[in-house]
Amino acid sequence: MDEKELQQSRRGFVKKTTALIGAAVLTAPSANAISLTNPGRERGDARYIGQEGKRFGMVIDLRKCVGCQACTSACKSENRVPKEKFRTYVPEYELGTYPNVHKAFLPQLCNHCAEPSCVSVCPTGATFARKDGIVVVDSEVCWGCGYCINACPYDKRYFNPITNVADKCTLCAHRVDHGLLPACVESCVGGARVFGDFNDPHSAVSKLLSSFPTTVLKPASGTKPRVFYIALSGEIQGLPYSPNVLDDMARKIDGMPTTREWSTKGE
Amino acid sequence: MDFGTLLHTISSITPDRPWGIDIPNYFWFTGSSAAAFIISSFAHVFGMKEYKPIAGFSLLLAFVLLVAAPMNLIDDLRQPGRIINFFFYGWENFPTSPMKWGVLLLIAYPLLILVEALVLYRPYFWFSKGMVRSQEQIEKDHHLGVVLGAIGIPLALSVHGYTGYILGAVHAIPLFHTPLMPILFLASAMVSGTGLLIILLPIFQKFFTDFKRVDMAMMQRLARLLSWFIVIDLVIRFFWLTFAITFNGEEKYALKLFFGENFWEVLIVDYVICLLVPMIIGFTNYFARSFKWVLFAGILSAIGVWIFRWNTVIGGQSIGKTTPFLLEYHPHIVGFDSIVSVLSNWSLLIALIALVMVIFPWDKEMANYYVTKEER
Ligand code: SF4
Ligand code: SF4
Ligand code: SF4
Repeated sequence: MDEKELQQSRRGFVKKTTALIGAAVLTAPSANAISLTNPGRERGDARYIGQEGKRFGMVIDLRKCVGCQACTSACKSENRVPKEKFRTYVPEYELGTYPNVHKAFLPQLCNHCAEPSCVSVCPTGATFARKDGIVVVDSEVCWGCGYCINACPYDKRYFNPITNVADKCTLCAHRVDHGLLPACVESCVGGARVFGDFNDPHSAVSKLLSSFPTTVLKPASGTKPRVFYIALSGEIQGLPYSPNVLDDMARKIDGMPTTREWSTKGE
Repeated sequence: MDFGTLLHTISSITPDRPWGIDIPNYFWFTGSSAAAFIISSFAHVFGMKEYKPIAGFSLLLAFVLLVAAPMNLIDDLRQPGRIINFFFYGWENFPTSPMKWGVLLLIAYPLLILVEALVLYRPYFWFSKGMVRSQEQIEKDHHLGVVLGAIGIPLALSVHGYTGYILGAVHAIPLFHTPLMPILFLASAMVSGTGLLIILLPIFQKFFTDFKRVDMAMMQRLARLLSWFIVIDLVIRFFWLTFAITFNGEEKYALKLFFGENFWEVLIVDYVICLLVPMIIGFTNYFARSFKWVLFAGILSAIGVWIFRWNTVIGGQSIGKTTPFLLEYHPHIVGFDSIVSVLSNWSLLIALIALVMVIFPWDKEMANYYVTKEER
């Protein structure tokens, strides 16, 4: 072969290989591999679609919360939430200066936002909102990038150390889909947590919304939370920054090593 | 009445933070790659003759940095085995998830550099096989190189700019949430990329070429360039911080808390030692003529940008969202996302540099500018 022929046969080879690779790439997705969403949603699996026409959420009446943490523990056992992780919890605040002081409890859970910033950033489509507004994670699709954990303005996501993917409150979708209440609502001692369908004007949550002034946490986040609060104190609504936090401090005072990668900084 | 001082959280939880030490390192790699590419384009696309000698070298450096960079991302994943899901699912989030843009950018960009490098070095590969490319072919190659370089510039800007978007899009974290983030990242990337070139160029010129000389004029030129990039970086940071801390809405409280607590690390270490000092070295003829000082400036600025990436990624996540104060980060020594994984990534980078520099005849090409025909 002279040089020219050699070159041409090489060109031919390159062209053929490129065509082959191209064909392979183009035919692969026709086997349903590439998806706008994720396989579960494409299949129309009931757990992924939820209850069409409904819009679930919660109203929490803070006047009734006694800070007993029954909800926290009910959630942990119902959902087998791993050690040191929480889907819901009730932080306690001391407001005012002595002698004019009072305590505030603030039950928190995922707000199942109408414009969830955790969902819009997910690069694998693993997290999404069901048709009834419940925001869930498909633990078999999530690749654990953590983008959603940073994107949630409410710190309501964590890495589950057992499944090794992002995890969060599901509003007990597995119970709700069988007509039961979420575990935290079921166990709420003070009757502070009320669950229901905002699309139904006769539901308890709709009635509460129409009879009391309600508000949400950090309204400026723009995610339109669907967990509303009655009697939420303005001092804690924005979950303000302050140098006083006792979290994790006992651990440090006792000289226990900080075993976790991230811990709260003690003053 | 200042409610902030009256508020005591007496019980709360420690929230999760996903990104560790790998992520600042990833940003440093992609940034330096983009910068190296742009410096190589000074000669390839804009025809600036004075940068010709290092154009090929920095192109190869850009390639290597970008091949090593994504390893950081993969190591930061909790389920790295599911990487395929990134390519297959969730395309409806493409417009709102900057991380997803990486699918296209992280494939297109290294491929483009590789092709450009192959075109650039084609005559040398041919030569080593005893073939000579005709003048016409060489001109064609040159033209192709310019086109590839011109496509590459926006691609290089995007490949690093998108990392700025990843952070800037997170409105939950006040330190990330600024439209300036992509441009801030690009400006500091130019600093670290130039710094890295200043460190590597003399090593390679001195020890791995036939002419075995460090081009001091080039070092001085790079030092001057570095200083100008630092000026741009500082100006953008000035706009960012003045608006973010002074004229901002609610976010300013978190930022005040953050910068108050980290005042010395940020101001003295990052701004003064790692940016102002190298800037002065580059602008002062006395220092810029001295090899040692220029090298020192290169090292400082490369480290400084790494610290900036760290302060941004780790610092941003340290700001509490539901907890009132800052969090602390302690990277693991070994395992995923640890100090050892970052060191391994650097080792991989060095191995790749060695490999690529062995395969590509960069030294032959560079020698053209330093050695006369007779000497060869
Ligand atoms: S509270 Fe956070 S995790 Fe829940 S839907 Fe809103 S943004 Fe997502
Ligand atoms: S951690 Fe999982 S659910 Fe969250 S953004 Fe990444 S892929 Fe999506
Ligand atoms: S169970 Fe009810 S009363 Fe008890 S802490 Fe939770 S929300 Fe408050």
